[in-house]
Amino acid sequence: MADHQIDDPKIAFAYLRPSCVLLTKEPILCNIQALSGHLRAVSDGALQLLQDYALFPLRFVLKTPGPKREALVQAAMEAMTYVLENTCIHSWESLRDLFSELCLCLCSPTDPGKPAPASEELKLAVLRCLDALLHSAYGDVFFKLYEPTMLPGLGAAVSLFLALAEQEKAREVQTEALKCLLSLFIQCDCSRTHLEPEKEERRMLGSALATFLPGITRALSQVIGGDVRQGHAVTVKAMRVWYTTVGLVMEDDQLQNASKDNIDTSELGRVGGLVVKRTPSWSKATSKRLTLALQKVISCTSAHQHWRVRLELVNLSDYLLARCSRSLAECTGPLLEALVGAVNDEEPRVKERCSAVLDEVARRNQANGGQALKDVLSENLHGLVSSLPRLMRTTDDKRKLFVLNVFLGYLKILGPQIDLVLTSAAHLQRISKALMQVLELDVSDVRIVEERTFAHLVDLGLETLEAQLQRKYFLYFTDDKIFSALKQICRMLGHYGNIYLLVDHFLDLYKESLAYRKQAALVLNEIITGAAGIGIHMEPSRTDNFRINHSKTNHEDLKSAVMSIVEEYISLNNWHLPTVMEHADIEQQEKLQSPISAIMRGHEGNSLHLVPASNIGHRSPTLHQLNSNIWQICIQLEGIGAFALALGSDFCLLLMTSLYPVLEKAGDESLLVSQSALGAMHNLCVACNYSSPKDLVISNADYLLNDVSLNLGRPSVHPHAPRVLAVMFAHSDATLLPLVVDVVQDLLTMLDLSYDQRSLQFSSALHSLMKAMVRWFPSSAKDHIKPPRVPPSQNPKPLDLRQFLLDYKKQKELAEGIGANEEDLSDAEMPPVAPGCEDHSGLEEGPDVKPELPMHVSVAKDVMERCVHLLSHTSIGTRLKVLGIVELCVNVLSETENELLPMVHRCWPALLQRLTNDDPLVIPQAFRVLCVLGELCGDFLRKRVSKEVLPRLTSALWRQAETSARSGPLYTHTLTYKLQLAVLQGLGPLCVRLDLVDSDLDNISEACLPYLSCRQPIGLQEACLSVFRHLMQVDPDACWFRLTELCCPTAYELPHMSLHPVRLSGMDRQRNEYTDNVLKLLHELQLCEENETDSRAEK
Amino acid sequence: MVMARPPPDPLFTLRGSAAPVNTLQFHCSTAGRPLLYSGSEKGCVHVWNLNNRRAERVLEGHDGASVIWVSTVDSTDAFLSQGRDMRVCVWDLHEGRSAVTHSLRTGSVGFCQCSLLEAETNKTLLALPAEHTEEIKVMELASQTPVRSLIPDSKQGMLMCMKMFQAESGPLLCAGYEDGSVVLWDVSHGRPLSCLKAHPEPVMCLDFDTDRQKGISGSSDKTLTSWIIDSQQNLQMQNSVLLTNPGVSQLCIRADGKIVAAAGWDGNVRVFGWKRLKPLAVLQHHKDLVHSVAFSNHPEASQRLMAAGSKDQRISVWSIYSES
Repeated sequence: MADHQIDDPKIAFAYLRPSCVLLTKEPILCNIQALSGHLRAVSDGALQLLQDYALFPLRFVLKTPGPKREALVQAAMEAMTYVLENTCIHSWESLRDLFSELCLCLCSPTDPGKPAPASEELKLAVLRCLDALLHSAYGDVFFKLYEPTMLPGLGAAVSLFLALAEQEKAREVQTEALKCLLSLFIQCDCSRTHLEPEKEERRMLGSALATFLPGITRALSQVIGGDVRQGHAVTVKAMRVWYTTVGLVMEDDQLQNASKDNIDTSELGRVGGLVVKRTPSWSKATSKRLTLALQKVISCTSAHQHWRVRLELVNLSDYLLARCSRSLAECTGPLLEALVGAVNDEEPRVKERCSAVLDEVARRNQANGGQALKDVLSENLHGLVSSLPRLMRTTDDKRKLFVLNVFLGYLKILGPQIDLVLTSAAHLQRISKALMQVLELDVSDVRIVEERTFAHLVDLGLETLEAQLQRKYFLYFTDDKIFSALKQICRMLGHYGNIYLLVDHFLDLYKESLAYRKQAALVLNEIITGAAGIGIHMEPSRTDNFRINHSKTNHEDLKSAVMSIVEEYISLNNWHLPTVMEHADIEQQEKLQSPISAIMRGHEGNSLHLVPASNIGHRSPTLHQLNSNIWQICIQLEGIGAFALALGSDFCLLLMTSLYPVLEKAGDESLLVSQSALGAMHNLCVACNYSSPKDLVISNADYLLNDVSLNLGRPSVHPHAPRVLAVMFAHSDATLLPLVVDVVQDLLTMLDLSYDQRSLQFSSALHSLMKAMVRWFPSSAKDHIKPPRVPPSQNPKPLDLRQFLLDYKKQKELAEGIGANEEDLSDAEMPPVAPGCEDHSGLEEGPDVKPELPMHVSVAKDVMERCVHLLSHTSIGTRLKVLGIVELCVNVLSETENELLPMVHRCWPALLQRLTNDDPLVIPQAFRVLCVLGELCGDFLRKRVSKEVLPRLTSALWRQAETSARSGPLYTHTLTYKLQLAVLQGLGPLCVRLDLVDSDLDNISEACLPYLSCRQPIGLQEACLSVFRHLMQVDPDACWFRLTELCCPTAYELPHMSLHPVRLSGMDRQRNEYTDNVLKLLHELQLCEENETDSRAEK
Repeated sequence: MVMARPPPDPLFTLRGSAAPVNTLQFHCSTAGRPLLYSGSEKGCVHVWNLNNRRAERVLEGHDGASVIWVSTVDSTDAFLSQGRDMRVCVWDLHEGRSAVTHSLRTGSVGFCQCSLLEAETNKTLLALPAEHTEEIKVMELASQTPVRSLIPDSKQGMLMCMKMFQAESGPLLCAGYEDGSVVLWDVSHGRPLSCLKAHPEPVMCLDFDTDRQKGISGSSDKTLTSWIIDSQQNLQMQNSVLLTNPGVSQLCIRADGKIVAAAGWDGNVRVFGWKRLKPLAVLQHHKDLVHSVAFSNHPEASQRLMAAGSKDQRISVWSIYSES
């Protein structure tokens, strides 16, 4: 394109003339291209003057009869487009002629209403040219197109464009055709300057278009509802044409003064029949048809994938509501629905535009008197809610989400007026029933009931702070967005509705039927959240708008509502639901007992042996029931958490009643339940300003203990008190002890009372108590007892000369005073008496009365006293637990030997039974206790062990050795193996601690020897090696002797001829099964000795 | 046969006093903040907020000597505590203060509780046990001026308990003595009006209902005895009831005159109808002697609670017979 264009018309004419003439003579492509090149060198002003001249040869090309090459026509079109884009059309004739000529190019020669089967490029070029023409026409000539006489031509053009839009495959052509339509109706939205039709001109336009309205709406509805693959641009354009046309024809202003339409049709002849008179009856009928068409349009576009389409729908609603609200009164409902559906659009631009439109609608409505909109809205809402359950069952997730968004949109627009809507019983009923049905949970999943918590005590550390919410599975939908939309709906209800009304209503539903219980709880949770103003997404403009006349729910009201809900949630029948199969029987029984125990409360101890008659014929709950129970508890727990967040620090008072139940569930066997409980605890912490769940538990120990001590007294109704107590023990520190001491006494009393039924539960609580005590009061004595008691002077008779000489040397040095240091050292190695014991004995010597024992010691004593009896309990589980308790008790008591030894003495017979005559499961545990006892009160037990325990143990080992030597790899999974292993592992330390006499050591090594065989399982070999290593500490010589009897690698040379030759039975032996292990041990023995000699030598 | 409803569990228990609880006093007239004062054997007075069920404050003014009696003074909003250190402390608890403004020396080594009388006539009288074990001193609280000293003529032994109340003629005082007799004193004139040998054993506690002109006394034996003051101001034995276990530490008649509660040495609180001493309920909760019972003076009848303090260091709070 030339930088400098020709301004002078004369020069321009001279410049253009040759190519124009040439083109007229010879209509070929290169000539057109030449002309088109020349045209671009002429300035707009000059071109305007030469417009007709320049267009003539191009039009001539089109007019020449006969078939034309498409490329030629296309080039001519492009040239014309250039001219038209840069000039204006002043004369009606040229507009009319050009318009019809161009339309002719598009239509098929045989049928002027149908598009010609031309190439897409050509069609596109023609349509662009037409568009340019319509844009370049002057206003005064343009409106002549709409005079009644032009109707046939106009109609042909319109139908041509519509046909192109509807049938064409190429998107560009479709869009361009629709664009032409827009230009033709002066509704173009492109960036070029446009005509601004006056009121009269609009009327003319509207009147003319009324003729084509049915065709336009039909064809465009077709396009809009067409294949999604056509692309959003086509749909958007078609919608635009649709609503601008409808808006023009059905404009309220025009229809009100319909009399002005009156055109005398008589003089028009046949054309007069085409003219439509927009009488009231016509407009009524048309509006009815349009409503149908509109509904179709809305239904295709409201849930469209592309946001521009949804945005255009908002524009459509806005346009029509603004212009045609009277003429299209019936459309108001659907239009509002469309708007409401877009209020929660995921695309912010749509959302923004939509709320602006809705504000505008509300403003207009206010200006017009108000009530109408609310009525329409509440009626729409009612209709929607009525069909909601059906829609939720039948449609797909996308559609469901949309419907729910519409629901939410209505609520948002209604805002504070929701309150009024809800006061209508019919509405409330419908809404609640719809929510109940929609929110129905899917309880068929086996996993719900299968998932278990294995950690018996909940860990309340910081890491559990972020406990996630469980994903819920609903019967009627899977998409999480749908659930959150439903939550939003409930919150909205809570936010604007009357809290008392709602809570009452849904609590009634909750109580009314088991089928609704979970859903009602879900709804209640969200209502409270909403009422507190939490989690409500609202556009600032709208909130401001409504905040004025909406008084926020009173905090006191909220508090009392929450109280009543929590009370209902944690009431016995709604909280203690069976969640686990195995225990179902017990819990059910307890549940059934509850009416009876309501009478018997306070006399629990006596009523324990009553078996309710109703228990007969009772069946355990089905899987579905269990699942349902689990969900219900989870939802209620989540509710408590949500209420806490809603009330903030005001919830602190409610901790009195609600913390205990939550903690109870935190220890539930079902994973889902315990996770929910942890989540709730997290919320409680946030709401009441505790740094961690642990902090929460400790700070509210008094509330918890209150419930624990009450509930300990009625175990059949509240069986979980020991569990809660255990959790508390696990997470607090010694400061809890003074508070808890009386509850421990309660626990012990209850244990005495219900020795048979619940001992396991109680003993687990005691176990966690003792564990906590060991932690709270770390024993100082234990550390001092640790050093091995093996005095180095164990080998007074040197076996070899070297040792003898060394000893002699040492003695000599001692006599000279050199080894004094070492003497001190060896003294220090003697086991000192625990300082704690000394203190106490010192105290007791003074006054006659025994000093009061420290609290933890007396508690441990009390607990251990119970253990004496419980050690021989019939249930293995209890026995195991009690053995654990004994072990811990002994640890706590270790500082006060005067208390410890009598208790050990009392325990001994029962413990002995466990060690010797019990289940193979119990023996290892009992043996462990024995080891601990041996460590803490060694001398006291020496005689008993060597007399009562060791013979049995060694004989058992001896007996079993043969079996295990011949066993296969599976043997390591058997109980006997585990027993053997435990005994072998424990024997060594026990020997050292108890300082056993030689004969016992002999027995032990005798019994252990078979386990040195390489045929034994490797674990047993290892354990046996450890026994020998310990024996080496006690008596290395005896050990050496015994080992060399089995195998002796070296022959000992005689240091002097006068000594007897050494004969060991293992000397001549062949390599056998024991060789490896024995050699290993002998090597270690030697190393040990060398080390010892070395250290001596150094000194 | 209609089965009686089972006795309820306590509404809640207050723990943390860390010592046996000797005495209790509700103070619920202040709007929104119902309080319970408890005196413990370790010399502390705990102020429990009944809303959050926690000790708001701990007052220590008796140097660790057992606190045997506490009371609020409505007219001056002061608070009194009597300890075994032979002192009655007068506290100022306004606006979070907790200071002893002054203390009164009783000189009594016994465990007889004081008795406070706030008559309409603006004059608050306090009856204190005195140095001589049988003597009662009555003083005006505001001015701390002694009004009377009441010493029985005959040998009735140690003063065990007393209750001062306003009659038409003036302040009267019922006192229980070691030999089991109850003496009615005319405080204004300082003379005994009547004497009733109510129990064979020492009188441990008594309470008096001014509306019915009827009192009740408990002893270390198994009987509770009620008596009336007739028009000649003579004590008349009226009714008695036999308990299963001997020993009552305290008796308390509810302000509406419907029930009376007895704190038993067996750890039970027994509730009787006040009119005929009909046994209504045995409240089992405590593991040790119940030292004290008290009824709340909450303005709302439904919120009126009963508290029992025990040697087992707990205070149990009950809601009983509050509906009717």
